[in-house]
Parts: sequence; C-alpha cells; structure tokens
Amino acid sequence: MRIAFAGNPNSGKTTMYNALTGRSEKVGNWGGVTVGSKEYQLKKEYSGGQEVIAVDLPGAYSMSPFTPEEGITSEYVRTANPDAIVNIVDATNLSRSLFFTTQLLELGIPVVVALNKSDINDKEGTKIDVAKLSAKLNCPVFETISTEDKGLADVIKTAISLAGSTQKAPYTQADINLHDKAAVDAEDRKRYDFVNKIVADVEKRQVLSAETTKQDKIDTVLTNPIAGILIFALVMWFVFWVSQTWLGPLVADWLVGWIETFQGWVAGQLENSPAILSALIADGIVGGVGAVVGFLPLVMVMYFLIALLEDCGYMARVSAVMDPIFKRVGLSGKSVIPVVIGTGCGIPAIMACRTIRDERERRATSMLTTFIPCGAKIPVIALFAGAFFNGAGWVSTLSYFFGLVLIFLGALLIKGITGYKYRKSFFIMELPKYKAPSLKFAFRSMMERAKAYIIKAGTIILVCNTIVQIMQTFNWHFQVVEEGAEDTSILASIASPFAVLLIPLGFGVWQLAAAAITGFIAKENVVGTLAVVYGLTAFIDTEELALTGGANEVAMTMGLTSVTALAYLFFNLYTPPCFAAIGAMNSEMKSKGWLWGAIGLQLGTGYTVAFLVNQVGTLITEGHLAAGFVPGLIAEICMVIALVLIAKKVRAHFDEQYALHKKTANAAA
Amino acid sequence: MDERTRLLDAEVGKTYRVREINTEDDDMNAFLFRLGCYTGEPITLISKKKNSCIVVIKDGRYNLDNLLSEAIIV
Repeated sequence: MRIAFAGNPNSGKTTMYNALTGRSEKVGNWGGVTVGSKEYQLKKEYSGGQEVIAVDLPGAYSMSPFTPEEGITSEYVRTANPDAIVNIVDATNLSRSLFFTTQLLELGIPVVVALNKSDINDKEGTKIDVAKLSAKLNCPVFETISTEDKGLADVIKTAISLAGSTQKAPYTQADINLHDKAAVDAEDRKRYDFVNKIVADVEKRQVLSAETTKQDKIDTVLTNPIAGILIFALVMWFVFWVSQTWLGPLVADWLVGWIETFQGWVAGQLENSPAILSALIADGIVGGVGAVVGFLPLVMVMYFLIALLEDCGYMARVSAVMDPIFKRVGLSGKSVIPVVIGTGCGIPAIMACRTIRDERERRATSMLTTFIPCGAKIPVIALFAGAFFNGAGWVSTLSYFFGLVLIFLGALLIKGITGYKYRKSFFIMELPKYKAPSLKFAFRSMMERAKAYIIKAGTIILVCNTIVQIMQTFNWHFQVVEEGAEDTSILASIASPFAVLLIPLGFGVWQLAAAAITGFIAKENVVGTLAVVYGLTAFIDTEELALTGGANEVAMTMGLTSVTALAYLFFNLYTPPCFAAIGAMNSEMKSKGWLWGAIGLQLGTGYTVAFLVNQVGTLITEGHLAAGFVPGLIAEICMVIALVLIAKKVRAHFDEQYALHKKTANAAA
Repeated sequence: MDERTRLLDAEVGKTYRVREINTEDDDMNAFLFRLGCYTGEPITLISKKKNSCIVVIKDGRYNLDNLLSEAIIV
C-alpha cells in the first residue's frame, strides 16, 4: 500500500515523513527543500503490521506545475495511483493551501487532511473549526504538529483505513476546454471563491496577517541591501571559523590521537608479517583512511551549524537579499540556496537548482555551485592550511570567498557566451515564519552526515587507497619497486604524463598528479592518496605538526613552496567535482552540450587559477616567473580561443532561433 | 480611492485590492494566481527597498522584486 504526502511548499511534509518512517531526509524552513520523491516503509507502530510505503513529494501550490520540482508532484498523484493521499496543510495559511486540497480531492483517491503547524495557530490565537472543515471538504481532518509527532498516528491510521475507497469531491471543476485560457482562469477563480467561503466559515483569527509583527522588523534588517549582506557574510564566516578553525580542529586533534594509537597498534600486530603486507595495511588502509577520518569533526560541526541555519527560516531571507546581486551576473536569488547547501555536499546542491524556474539560470547555477568547497574538500583545505600555512584560518576563508568570486565570474562568462536572452527574470520567494532551530534535527543531520562520511571512508576511500598503495608498490612486472626506483611503479608511470601538464602550475610531479586524479572519485582521496604516496600518515595531525615543526617536513617531502602549495590546493578545489556530482549535473542539465561545457569550464578554471597563483606568486616571492610559463600561457590562449569559438557558435544558433521567431511572427501577422 | 497605481509605487503599510496583473508571462500570472494574488483580492505592502518589497498575500509573506511589483496594478 502506498500513501502519498502532498501539500504546499514548506508545510512540513518531509518532517512528517521522517517522523513516520524514521528516515532523516533533508528538512528546512523554506519552500523547495524536497526536490524529488522519496519513499520508505512506515514504522511498525504506525502501520499496524501492514506493509505501508510512505511517499514524500516536493511541495506544490497546485496541480499545474510552475517549477520543475512541482511537476514531479502533480505527475505522481495523477499517474502513480497511490492508495491514499495525506494532504499536509499549513494551518497558518489555510486560505492558500485549500486551493490545492480541493484539486487533490477531485482525483477520486481518498484524502486525509493534516492541519500541520497547529502549534503556531494556538500561539497566535487562530482557531480552525476542524469538524466543520471536515464536513465541508468531505474528508477527515486532523490537527497535527509534525515536529512533535502530535496527531500523526490518527492521520496515518485513517489514511490506511480509507485506502482503496473512493473520494467524493466537494468541488468539481466544470467540463471546460483546458486549452481555453479564459475558461481555465474563470474556473480557477470559482475554485478560489469556494475555498474563500470555507475559510471564512471555519477560521477565526486574532492576529491579522497584514499586521506588522516583530518578525517583520527582523526582516527589515535581514533583507536590507547593505546590512543584510554584511550579516550574511558574518554568519557564514562564523560557521567556517567555528567548524574549521576553532571547535572542529579541537575535536579533530583528540580523534587523530586515537587514530594514531590504533595505527601503531596495528603496525605492532603486523611486526612479524611481510613488510609489504604491513605497509599495505598499516600505511595504506589504516593510515590513508585515518587521514580522511581525522577531519570528520570539522565536517560534522559545519553540518550542525548549517542545519541550524536552514531550520530557522534565514535561508529565504538570504535568497531575497542576494537576488539583486545574483541577477546582475545572470543568476537568480534562488541560486544562493544551492550555494549554501553546496558547503556541505555538491550533489544535493545541484539538485536544489530545480527550484529555479528559468532554464539558463538553472543550468548555470548547477554548473557553478560546486566552486564552493564542499565537505569533502574540507580535509584538503585543512591539510594544506596546517602543513604549509601554520594552520592559518585565512586559507579556509579565502577558499570559500574565492569560490564565490569564481561563481560570479563564471556566471558573467556564461551570460556572455549564451548571449542576453530577452526574458524577464522574476523573483518571488515566500518568507516563512521564523522558528527556533531544533537542536535535535541539527544533531540528526550531523550524525547522518557523519555516518555517510565514515561509510565513504570505509568503502570508496579504502578501496582507492588500497589500489594506490598496490600500484605504487609494484612495477608493471609485478615486482616490488626497490627503494630509490619509485618512479618505475605502475602508479608513477600512469600519473607521469598528467604531471607534465601540471608543470606550469608548479606541481608537475607524479605523486601530486595521482592525488588530483583520485580526487575525481571522491575529493577526500586527495588527502588519502597524498598520505599513501608520501608515506606521511602522521601529517594528518596538522595542528601538532605546525607546533613541532613537522609541517616543514611535510613541505619538504612534497617539494612544494607555500606558493605552489596554494596553487595545488586551489587546483583541487576548483577543478570539476567528484564523478557523483558530475552525474548529478548531467541529470539536472539534461543537455550534453551544457554538461561538457560545465566540465570544460571547471577544468579551465582550476587550471587557470593554479597557473596564475603559481606564476604571479613565484614572481612576487622569488622575483622571476615559475617554470613552464610559456607552455602554460599557450594552454591559456588555447582556452580563450576555444571560448570565443563556442560563444560564436552558440550566438549564431541563438540568432538563428531569434530570426526564426521573427519570421513566424511576421507570417502570423 | 480610485487611482490606479503600480504596487511598486504604493504606500507601505496599506492594504490594496489587486486591479490587474500583467507580467507578460502567462505562467507567472498563473503562479501568482495560485498564491491568491489576482484581481479583486487584497494585497498589503509591508516594506519596500531599492530593488524589492515584502507583501502579504492571503496569509503568507513574500519577497517580490521590482519587476513583479511593477506588473501588479492596485
């Protein structure tokens, strides 16, 4: 049996779904958090022993979709024939929500209405006559509070008992020609009249919605073009500072101590085993994976803080305050949400682009959002900040800030290439009521992330590290590589050709090339591979090393100066994301041209940024250009030529299209 | 009060009736309709900034950019 959860955006569908199934799908206090359908079995205590699948759907205002994610919902309830629908209604906005409710009631599938957020109504003194509403809608209605599990059992029990029966609609649309816009409009108006009458009958408000409240005063500050942006910058800086400079490393140090103890113990156990086995297990597996796990606390703290931000209602305000700036470069205020989500992981960030209506803006955002370093890149940043810059906080701040700058520059570039399209880009964003962020949800979100991180470290990263370890231990004749002849290993011979390309960037050695390549599988691999190829598993303890002078040792071993280290870090941060994120881009863009354009842009950006940092940095610190300036310059010129050619082609196509429209317009006239 | 004005030029704190919506984009008009923003319905301007404003439609608050508030005649 399938029960679908449908309702307006930000009415609390996913929160209810999580409570009923025990899942931890992403929740947040803004419209458009859920962008795809999710399904899972109900917990036993709710299903009464039957097999019941709950289906969580993206929010929709009506059955006619406006943005891509709304389309998923109307498509599902229309074609997938769920056995019952739970319609989650935001009880604080009954007058808007019931429009969609009456449409759902017409489908013939039994509907149970959950009047969610009824605690806010209690607080504001809004009273809804549930019995009367139920009679008027011709379906059961319950008051619920998703965040406190209140009323959920009644809703789901009733939905299960009604499953398979037929719903009688209280309001049915007249048989009209759906292509006749005027007729559809008139029908929709009648439907709203019907809804308005019901609301007038069942709802009594003490606080009128149009009155200015305390929340409006906060909004005035947060959406102020100057104060609002400053506050946003400050909030994000605080999140990064706490997670990556203060609390995160504090916990990480403690964890790393344990990992090292464990590694020592494993090495002790393997004392009498062959050296290769001991190296593979102690250095390759435990060391490489440990290097990645050591940074887990930084990621966890950040997830916790971002979850708090997402839960309180701030995101919608950020989106509103950033809209004018983002619009100027050809994006939308809604692009801010993927960018913030992207600090955690690029994949949900790319998926969140679905809430952007304009296709070009949507594709451009999903192409650019991964310039913001994701959680998997935090270990890379932290490692380099610790080993080369004394653990300086500015490295991480600069990484994020520079990522944002690249998003702006990239957006301008895309705008230039695709040509200005004469379409108005409107911005409308619902500003939800603020609420105190739930520590419980933030904690769950953090633990969920930690679990995923550890699983990843124990699977993908572990396998990659083992392969890297084996590939560098053996040569092509499967003989163990002798000391001093490391360049003959399988890994070295594969990575060396790539390394040549990286000479103008200042890090043209096979070890670093290999780490950058494994980074495409998962960005944490950069750290894992470096730890393996340099046998420097101890350098994960970046704070300690900075104090004991070990950072110098790391720097010496890797043969990087602070300039080339920064170039290498930036190269890894701004090249294409991991394959999984590229896959997400592919499915959101739905265009091979855009996908390859995105990969090309990201490769070009990573290369260019590293090239500039290395050459300019070397010029400043050493007074001369770095090696490989001329080949690098030639590569850059080739990229510019490629860009111009692509722009020409795209624009010619655009002109063609435009001309065609004109022609048809003339013909019509 | 018979004067027609764009929401963009309306007075903060006042509740108006929507007289006309023309964004020159049918889907956008329809979307506004579904939020409850259509001819004859009340709309309240809560605050106004250089590039945007905050309005109350039905029982929800929305941030609109100037392109939209220009297109809503009250």
